[in-house]
Amino acid sequence: MVDSALSRPGQRERYDSKLAQIDWVFVGLLATLTGIGILLLYSVGGMKWEPWAFKQLVTFCACMAFMLLLALVDLRVWLMGAYWFYGASLLLLVAVEAVGDVRMGAQRWLSVGGFGFQPSEFMKLAIVLALARFYHECSAKDANWSWKLLIPAAMIGVPAVLVMHQPDLGTAVLISLTGLAVMILAGLNWKVIAAGAAAAAVAIPLAFEFVLHEYQRQRILTFLNPEEDPSGSGYHILQSKIAMGSGGLLGKGLGLGSQSQLNFLPEKHTDFIMAAVCEELGFAGGFMIFLLYGAIILMALRMASLSHSHFGRLAAAGATATFALYVLINGAMVMGLFPVVGVPMPLVSYGGSAMLMVMTGFGLVLGVKVHRYQELPRQASIFQRFE
Amino acid sequence: MAEPSLVFTDVNERQGMFTRRVFLMGGFVAFGMFALTGRLAHLQILQGSKYSKLAAANQFNFRLIPPPRGNIYDRNGKLIAGNRPSFRVMIETNEVKNIDDTLDEVSYVLPQTLSSRRRILRDINQNQRSVPTVIASDLSWEDFSHVSLYANDIPGIVADMDEVRAYYYGGAFSHVVGYVSKISQRDLTDETGVSQTDFNLLHHPSFRIGKQGIEKAFDKDLRGTPGGRKVEVDSRGKVVADDEEGNIAPVPGKDIVLTLDADIQSRAVEVFGQESGSAVMMDVRTGEVLCMTSSPGFDPNLFVSGISSKAYKLLADYDHIPLLDKALSSTFPPGSTFKTMVALAALENGYDPNTIHVCNRHWPWGGRVWGCDDAHGALNLHQAIVTSCDIYFYQCALSVGPDKIAAMARKFGLGDIFDIGISGQKAGIVPDSAWKKKYFAKRNPANTKWFPGETPSMGIGQGYTNLNPLQLCVMVARLANGRKALTPQLVKSVGGVDRVVKEFPDLPADPAHIDFVRAAMADVVTSGTAARTGKLDLGPIMMAGKTGTAQAYDYKGGRGAHGAVGDWKLRDHAWFVAFAPADAPRFAMSVLVQHGGFGAASAAPKAREIMRLALLKDPETQKRIVSINPADLVDKPLPADTSTDGIPPNGNPDVVPSPAATGHKSV
Repeated sequence: MVDSALSRPGQRERYDSKLAQIDWVFVGLLATLTGIGILLLYSVGGMKWEPWAFKQLVTFCACMAFMLLLALVDLRVWLMGAYWFYGASLLLLVAVEAVGDVRMGAQRWLSVGGFGFQPSEFMKLAIVLALARFYHECSAKDANWSWKLLIPAAMIGVPAVLVMHQPDLGTAVLISLTGLAVMILAGLNWKVIAAGAAAAAVAIPLAFEFVLHEYQRQRILTFLNPEEDPSGSGYHILQSKIAMGSGGLLGKGLGLGSQSQLNFLPEKHTDFIMAAVCEELGFAGGFMIFLLYGAIILMALRMASLSHSHFGRLAAAGATATFALYVLINGAMVMGLFPVVGVPMPLVSYGGSAMLMVMTGFGLVLGVKVHRYQELPRQASIFQRFE
Repeated sequence: MAEPSLVFTDVNERQGMFTRRVFLMGGFVAFGMFALTGRLAHLQILQGSKYSKLAAANQFNFRLIPPPRGNIYDRNGKLIAGNRPSFRVMIETNEVKNIDDTLDEVSYVLPQTLSSRRRILRDINQNQRSVPTVIASDLSWEDFSHVSLYANDIPGIVADMDEVRAYYYGGAFSHVVGYVSKISQRDLTDETGVSQTDFNLLHHPSFRIGKQGIEKAFDKDLRGTPGGRKVEVDSRGKVVADDEEGNIAPVPGKDIVLTLDADIQSRAVEVFGQESGSAVMMDVRTGEVLCMTSSPGFDPNLFVSGISSKAYKLLADYDHIPLLDKALSSTFPPGSTFKTMVALAALENGYDPNTIHVCNRHWPWGGRVWGCDDAHGALNLHQAIVTSCDIYFYQCALSVGPDKIAAMARKFGLGDIFDIGISGQKAGIVPDSAWKKKYFAKRNPANTKWFPGETPSMGIGQGYTNLNPLQLCVMVARLANGRKALTPQLVKSVGGVDRVVKEFPDLPADPAHIDFVRAAMADVVTSGTAARTGKLDLGPIMMAGKTGTAQAYDYKGGRGAHGAVGDWKLRDHAWFVAFAPADAPRFAMSVLVQHGGFGAASAAPKAREIMRLALLKDPETQKRIVSINPADLVDKPLPADTSTDGIPPNGNPDVVPSPAATGHKSV
């Protein structure tokens, strides 16, 4: 029997019916996309499983299991844990300031027992959950325009400034944009959005001059004119464009891309993997990947809109917004439409922690779909017991 | 699947707002994806060919293949300078992480690289990082196979075969053919306006540039055009694969054929041994130079891969100056060989050859006493040439005057620089009053006038007169030819194209007068100064010549004793100019033995040896020798007078020194 809003409540709590509620087409699309990514990692690794493809496959399988597990988690657990998760992530960011490792000129890493991680990765999801919870408890009028909006502004601003200080411009921008996306989805007044956009237009040149680090400024200048210094800072963008352009309609074939195989393409397995995809699989392959991304994002947004709870809607849409921002920024970056900011292509780029956060986000999205009929109390408290 | 969410749930304000906004967001994402796809299509489909070219430019590279240098042959096609294979080991500097560690690894296989470690490191620093540096070259086959076995295990070490310039006659052609050597900074600055390909060739580690002689003068012809090996490279420039279809073959340098004869040249070098001097031989019909040596020579192969400073110092410090080309770049007083010109000038200016002067060893004139080697008695011009009487020629020269002698000498090529293709010729000096005026105008304005006392010295080829062996060879070749003013030719063809020889102008001298001088030169060998040492022993084929013993002057030691005694640096220069056969000349030559003593004793025997070989190789002369009936040789009377030989009878010339130190003696 298909579960619906009319199903008896007890039946919907059973794990077998929850599993049936998972959108398996969506899971299939994720697996297809990651599969193409692993194929390309196999190719740029010199047609070998080592060093990237196999590890990525193992990571994906683990993350997939974790995502499916998260999809079964009751939405109230997310709601209860939202502020705690946010608070813990914020504390870790402060800890990074104090005792973080410096790698490649930036203090981003925390080491616990020899295992390093970046707290800013957690913050990307924590900001979504925390804002979703805030708006869950907030009226439509307040969400539109009131003094209470200073609270979400601060919730975004504090971690953004901390991450910016590491310095990690890419993640700071991502956190800010994700938070902003949630605020807009929650119903921020259009006039405020327009005013904010105008203010940003004024502030960005000022920030460029006074806030950004020299290497960040250089990246942006290089983006504006990559041909000026083809062997120096403009090298990444130029080589990426050459790789994509030379792929043509059908590509050079797997393992035959001269730019990626001969190392002209920098960061070919992480940030610039899309260039390798487009070189070896051509426009056909690139188009295919963007089609998959589009389908995944739109399906995730639809799942978000199915939820009966405002928290579920905003959390799922916010997690999807993070993902969409990754895709758009990385896509624009490798094609020379956006400065090089060190944002990976989610699921396709090699990397465990990025994959974990993306899959956690989709676990939340799937969970929202599975628990879409669940009504959540407006004033939630951690002391309130589950029904 | 019925999804009643929007219909049945409580449509509150917050949800309505979210639904509208999420539609907008979906639209925004779709637009973003569309824009990215559009950009992708722009890059990959519209600009695809442009980026394909850029990708190919990244991927493929041309590695320079140096062209083989042109060969240099002698007139009979014998290889003088060619290229030989050399097994070598190189280090690709930009593929090596730690140069010291890599060199340590190599030294396990090639122990000799330990001792040259400093040289290798210096070369690595000097070379551009993209070009490999040679660690060891000219390896034996055993060493090379040993290294090739292990080279693959040492990253950045390449063992391959290279072509190296080889001079197959060792030092025989060291000056005229010259040698090649590593390009120097000065050579690079001289090469202006070169193309990129040539620039790469000049900086290639196996490139060698001509430094002397033919190798230098025809360097651009010998070089050739480099080819390219099309290779696939990675971003660090490391070669990943070859693309043989895309290779461009190098164009080898042009071959050069010289007029020299390797046999005669080698014979001339052998005859000299370690004596210092030069031998030049010309064909009297064509002007082709058959031999042009400068002794002692040096092994040009030493310079190809870089001569050690120790070996170079040995060459540079040797007082016989092996590095100097004595045939062209060094001038000497011609001594009595110049008397041929004095006699010819006299005859051309109406001097009666029957004029008699009496020689009794001393001749007081102009307030001093001039000397001669012997008391020759009463002599006419013919006898004076045959006996090389100085006292006769003092007076003969005075009666002609320096300007007319110099004019005649110049007509016979003395003081001239010839277009033989190679540089380094020194013109020397044929003095006359105009020369003296010009020469001393700045140096010593008080001494610009030609004094009559300077003419007797000039008459015996001393004083200011200074000439190189090539000029004297041209002089005697023109005398032997008798009709045409031959010019020497050294290069027969370049790249298969024969060098154009200009029509020789007529000799501006009466053939009868030239015959007179030639007859006297023939008698020099039959009965004159070279009668003991100048005979060819080829039956009726005789040599004609003129001896010369020119006083050397040393700034420190002044003048030394006459002949081959005393300090080597102060001994006289020995000359012999000759042509043969005397009755129908084929070859002309000049031999100079620096500080060799008497011309007849030192230079004439050498000339005879070299001339014999040239005549025996000549088919015309061979025919004459074979056609001799041995019976004709019997009962032939010996030449009547052999006592007026160049060598004084007691071997210790009892020369009375001239009262004034400027007196000259010449035999």
